[in-house]
Amino acid sequence: MESRKYPLYFSFPALLVFLLFFIAPTFVGVYYSFTDWNIHAQTVHFIGLDNYRALFQEPRLKTALVNTLVFAAAVTVLQNVIGIALALVLNEKLKLRNVLRLIFFMPYVIAPVVIGYVFRAIYHPDHGIVNRALREFGLGALAQDWLNDPKWALFSIIMTDLWRVSGFAMVVYLAGLQFIPKDLLESASIDGASYWSRFRHIVFPLLAPSFTVNVLLSLIGSMKVFEMVMVLTEGGPGYTTEVFYTYIRSTFSMGQMGYSTAINLVLFVLVTAIGVPVLMAMKKREVDM
Amino acid sequence: MKKTSKISLAAALGLAATSLAACGGGNGNDGANAGASSSAAPPASASASASASTKAKDPVTLTFLISNTEDTAPFTKIFDAYEKQTGNKVELQSLPGGDYDNLLMTRFSTGDLPDLFLMQPGTKQYVKLRADETLHEWSGESGVWDNVIDTIKQAQVQDGKIYGVPYGSTGMYGVFYNKDVFAKVGVQPPKNYQDLLDIAEKIKAAGITPFYEGVKDGWPAQVFYLSGWVTEVDPAIGPDGAEKLNANQLKLADIPQVKDLFVKQKELKDKGLLQKSVLAGTYDELQNEMGEGKVAMAFMLDGILSQMEKKFGKDFVQNSLGYFPFPSDTDAGTAMITPPNQLMVPEKAKHRDAAIDLVKFMLQPDNVNSFYAEHPGIPIFKGATSTLYPAQEDVKKFIDEGKSQINIQNRLTASFVDFAKTLQNFFIDGDVDKALNEFSTNYQKDGKAKLLPGF
Repeated sequence: MESRKYPLYFSFPALLVFLLFFIAPTFVGVYYSFTDWNIHAQTVHFIGLDNYRALFQEPRLKTALVNTLVFAAAVTVLQNVIGIALALVLNEKLKLRNVLRLIFFMPYVIAPVVIGYVFRAIYHPDHGIVNRALREFGLGALAQDWLNDPKWALFSIIMTDLWRVSGFAMVVYLAGLQFIPKDLLESASIDGASYWSRFRHIVFPLLAPSFTVNVLLSLIGSMKVFEMVMVLTEGGPGYTTEVFYTYIRSTFSMGQMGYSTAINLVLFVLVTAIGVPVLMAMKKREVDM
Repeated sequence: MKKTSKISLAAALGLAATSLAACGGGNGNDGANAGASSSAAPPASASASASASTKAKDPVTLTFLISNTEDTAPFTKIFDAYEKQTGNKVELQSLPGGDYDNLLMTRFSTGDLPDLFLMQPGTKQYVKLRADETLHEWSGESGVWDNVIDTIKQAQVQDGKIYGVPYGSTGMYGVFYNKDVFAKVGVQPPKNYQDLLDIAEKIKAAGITPFYEGVKDGWPAQVFYLSGWVTEVDPAIGPDGAEKLNANQLKLADIPQVKDLFVKQKELKDKGLLQKSVLAGTYDELQNEMGEGKVAMAFMLDGILSQMEKKFGKDFVQNSLGYFPFPSDTDAGTAMITPPNQLMVPEKAKHRDAAIDLVKFMLQPDNVNSFYAEHPGIPIFKGATSTLYPAQEDVKKFIDEGKSQINIQNRLTASFVDFAKTLQNFFIDGDVDKALNEFSTNYQKDGKAKLLPGF
């Protein structure tokens, strides 16, 4: 059977939309990051690297950078650990298996803003169920002001986001698990391989494509975190949970469009600089079946 | 592996608009000028102000922007009446108070103009909005000024031009307190600041939280400084102090009385006079706790009156809520008031003429009274009547005695940006100098961002 190729012009409509609404604005954005575009001014001037110079002297950038990286690292690692664990358990023949899968996936369907408001109530130092449960079980000493104590605020945001996204990783891994040939696992069993070694030498390597997708999606997604932080702490108390997008929002709402675009470009470079090597490293270890 | 830089920025901003928590630092609430007498002035002829708002042939829908720190109920009532009379609808869009100015500016610069909008008080808004190019000028308009109290009208004039029609009533900041708690503990409103601290200690000894600060929401914590400013800072920097700040010739960090306010707020925390979980404090919880008598006092703005009425009924607000100014070291202090908000119409609004017509309709005596019935306040219109809350009567006494001063924010063109954040940090680390410097620097940054002369 000859392999027929579709003509190139089939892609033009989609390409046009993509160019118009994505590529072009991106390049325009790069240009604006070198200008003093400000809603209080009538004209826009090219100012070279001034925005970047000002930006790198700003202590808030460092806070935002550190918090964004901590958040991204924690969410990426834990989301995948939890996702794989959930997928392995829910791949077994369990009663209520489908119901459980649905339950774990459900948070991902709820808007982050809604989740944020619910968790604000859950984390409340006096009336929230976390602290009330701790006190009920005689663990009152562990009760914290989860969202307003600078020591715990970022941790609480991470936990909330994990609750939201782990189900998604689970679904991707579950899909990956369906492609692992049963006979491979069975013959390993007969050869006396333990559960752990079957996981390590067969399941995990063959899950590599799902792993690549999940790690990359959660890495990019978590570096762009916004709603969850905004709703839970607004980057506070003070600036303690400031991330890139809360910082951008704040400068943008002051009307400093050029400056905000510059911050965004820094984030773009950062995500690319981390994402591309990670992608290449992981592509390498994917096994062809 | 494409990073959707622009798109995600747009998405983030869209979300920002929806997920912003409500209030901005006291840029809300309505009010009248110093010396505004209440309902005493003689009524002007009602017919003079009533412009002909007859049924339009082709009804239009007007867009009206308002900050979400404002009570919308009185407006919707008037708009319903307007629709009945003219057939024109008014779509009310409520924007987040903290970013109201900038959301408005953004809509101006993108040409997405509302037909009319409610703006915070003061001629400084003219500068911000570049009024001479963008807004309708009202000084020669008939059917607008007949009933506006003259001092209020004069406060709108800059270089002989008027770009905003005052609407609303006198607002106030200061200490709101639960009278039942005061009676139970056996204390009276303070004679000076030391007295306030003594009262607070007595209340604490009775097992009740003396003060509540909404630090989590951010903006409520600023009220301490704004109401303290008129009592402490204004007398020290004198009448031209605000001018110097406007021209950036005076630094906030160099005013000892500003520093003293930081010291005083820290003192309240250090002495354990604030609620237990200070950093988790919200405006909403403050209302609940104060209504239930668990909290005695709060540095607040008068928006709390209508909120408390919703939660605890009219009787509670009538009988149990009192007001006193931020006391000075030597006397009961100065009441901080805010002038009335203003209605503005962009000159290039799609339905400009209908919007002007609507403003005239809103100014008709019946509609003004309907406004005050929904939202009691010290009126700014001749012949208007309003049943004041006792807390508003309290502030009126100060106004009548000449012991009142307008909010410093309404006198400065640059804003105290990120002040709420500064205060959250301050509640965590208690570092007075750091907070003061950040407060001062951020004010200058905003002046620079707004391209104001001198910054």
